[in-house]
Amino acid sequence: MELHVLIVDDSPAMRSFIRRVLELSGLEVGRCLEASNGEEALRLLEDNWVDAVLTDINMPRMDGEELLRRMSAHAVLRLIPVLVVSTDRTEGRIQKMLTLGARGYVTKPFAPETLRGELEHSLGVVHGTE
Amino acid sequence: MEPNEIQAAMAVAVEEVLETMCFASVLASAEGAAPPEADDGSPAITTALHFEGSPSGEFRLGVPVKLARVVGAGFLGREETDVSDSQAEEVVCELANMICGTVLSRLESKATFQITHPEVTQFEPGAGFDGDSTCRWFDLGDGILTVSLGLQQAV
Repeated sequence: MELHVLIVDDSPAMRSFIRRVLELSGLEVGRCLEASNGEEALRLLEDNWVDAVLTDINMPRMDGEELLRRMSAHAVLRLIPVLVVSTDRTEGRIQKMLTLGARGYVTKPFAPETLRGELEHSLGVVHGTE
Repeated sequence: MEPNEIQAAMAVAVEEVLETMCFASVLASAEGAAPPEADDGSPAITTALHFEGSPSGEFRLGVPVKLARVVGAGFLGREETDVSDSQAEEVVCELANMICGTVLSRLESKATFQITHPEVTQFEPGAGFDGDSTCRWFDLGDGILTVSLGLQQAV
């Protein structure tokens, strides 16, 4: 089954890196949408269903925390697993994002297998409980 | 926070980020700005970001353009000749973000930091910091990368 994802990061280089890792990871990646902040992500999600959202935290206009908060409060978008990909390794931040509804958290730098593992875990959680 | 702790954190962070994200290895590394014989006058991409927390300060990364294309190619999965100037800058900024985040988490794993977006700027590594600063250079074969960390307050 093809996996449709949305990558949210203000760095085009990082979006490109994540996309490449997903494509090389062995996952069958279908549509791979990109947004540079939370606002753009929400606009894309109005018209496009994805199987997972991978988001950075520190972004202009709308950061990853607010994106997660809005998705969690939305009747439909809350069903999409969100994986946070961030340089912030602090325990407080990780716990906060998980409490807000993130299904997983990957710290940069990350090995390709780590991203794949966390993404599969996130998808497994939603498949097992929804 | 002792300078040798910062040096050790810098060494581990740079190697981890370069090996994991750019598939590049450090051949040699030492304290201080790049050795004078390594300065061939070639242009470099220099980026800086600020962090606020305990402690607060500034992080800087300098990468010669040629080396930026090499690590950029590894990061983006392209040939060096296909890496544009702007892409090389984006990769250097992203490296600065990751290296700084890794250094800070190693130095203060329980603390919370707010890190600004890295910006390309002009500076001499190690110069112009308000408080204490620590520099380290890394030889990757294709050029020498320098990192500097300036702290505004001690923990």
